[in-house]
Amino acid sequence: MKLDLDAYIARRSPIHTWETRCKLIGCMTLILAFACVQQLWLLPIMVMITVIFYSFSRLPLSFLQHRLRYPGLFLVGIVGLVPFVSGQTVLWQWHSITVYQEGVAAAVLMTTRFFSILTVALILVGTTPFLSLLQALRSLGLSPILADMTMLTYRYLYDIIANLATMRTAMQLRGSTYLLPSGQRQPWGARLRHFAALLGTLLIRSYEQSERVYKAMRLRGYGQLAAQPQTLRSPIPLSSWLALALTSAIALSLISAEFWRSFV
Amino acid sequence: MHIPDGILPAQICLGGYALTGLTTWFSLKQINRCANPLEGVPRAALLTAAFFAASLLRIPLPPASVHFVLNGMLGVVLGYYAFPAILVGLGLQAIMFGHGGLSTYGVNAVIMGIPALVAAALFRSRDRLFPAQAQTRWLTGSFAFMAGASGVGLAALVFYSLVIFNLPADLNAQAEQAALTTLLVAHVPLMLLEGAFTALLVLFLEKVKPELLNLRRNTHSL
Repeated sequence: MKLDLDAYIARRSPIHTWETRCKLIGCMTLILAFACVQQLWLLPIMVMITVIFYSFSRLPLSFLQHRLRYPGLFLVGIVGLVPFVSGQTVLWQWHSITVYQEGVAAAVLMTTRFFSILTVALILVGTTPFLSLLQALRSLGLSPILADMTMLTYRYLYDIIANLATMRTAMQLRGSTYLLPSGQRQPWGARLRHFAALLGTLLIRSYEQSERVYKAMRLRGYGQLAAQPQTLRSPIPLSSWLALALTSAIALSLISAEFWRSFV
Repeated sequence: MHIPDGILPAQICLGGYALTGLTTWFSLKQINRCANPLEGVPRAALLTAAFFAASLLRIPLPPASVHFVLNGMLGVVLGYYAFPAILVGLGLQAIMFGHGGLSTYGVNAVIMGIPALVAAALFRSRDRLFPAQAQTRWLTGSFAFMAGASGVGLAALVFYSLVIFNLPADLNAQAEQAALTTLLVAHVPLMLLEGAFTALLVLFLEKVKPELLNLRRNTHSL
């Protein structure tokens, strides 16, 4: 498993140079505005905003395609059923299979919202180093406990995944497979016990490692107020403020258009 | 059991963020009540990473393979740290793999996190209901089973309710109820499996490293 999000953070683009706190607020506002959209006529506008935003980021299209694949499959699982079960106006019928107009509209709405929100989220995390994102969140009021937990989980995740892979290999080399020597599959209970022992050992190792990590952190001054410069303190450039104002204006316009049409 | 972006309307997403904020505030308040709240942070972080890694594993159970949710187990081991831990885990999953999403982050945290706290309280009720000398392996296993099964069961209930009742086009009420019941009944074998696995894991830890199950006593009890 490799985190490929950091692969494009060294590129130069207006989105890359956008100050992280402003970028975070701007992207989240846009995401919220996209989530508000219910009217079908707003969908092309939403897609257009997304495409322009993505082109500004200068991220390659392959990055988007790769990142859309897995959540896209999951979305198909949920949205794929909607045209057949939701709505009253029959659009097409063949034997007992019926496609409803309202269901198709709902599926299009959800898929477009999904695409736009995920793309903006990818722009945010694909153009910002993870540590800067965490510092920005901390500056915006994230609890130090949550920030520290996130940083440490991220730091040790790969070690623990590697540990788990080694332990699985070792178990298999010692003859613990899902097959009995006779070639028959092990009973469910035995398989669950094996897996419980594997995960239990992983938890114990992680727990013991955390004790060592905590002691090392304490020796380096962890918990002392003076030693926690985890927030972004640099002044925000005017261009970043302007970009934030523009993004917020776009988001507000979308929300206003949505509510205006709902009431008219 | 993560809701992707785009499925839910903005009101539900905002409601999820509000409920998550409230539950996080409550959890952090409880954590800050102990003498040294930072002491549990590395433990919670590394155990979160371990649960995260374990949840990526699939075990073959023909005709398919399953991966465990483990939110009940997380509650049993981490207590009040479970909600922040799930918040961190979901955030990393959304950023790294695209599981869930940023707009549904709050809702997903509610789906996974509140059942974890319920599972923690359920497992801890063993200490209140039975004196230490009466706590046999069967009793511990039974409470662990209930904690594991309720973690998945409650998460599935909230997940499917949110998805079915918030589809933009109206399903008729009977179809909604039938779909919800069918999906929940389909999850009963998974609840039993997760419960059995949690019981086996808790019994293993009780035998090999009992202090891991007493983590919350060292920090703060639910």
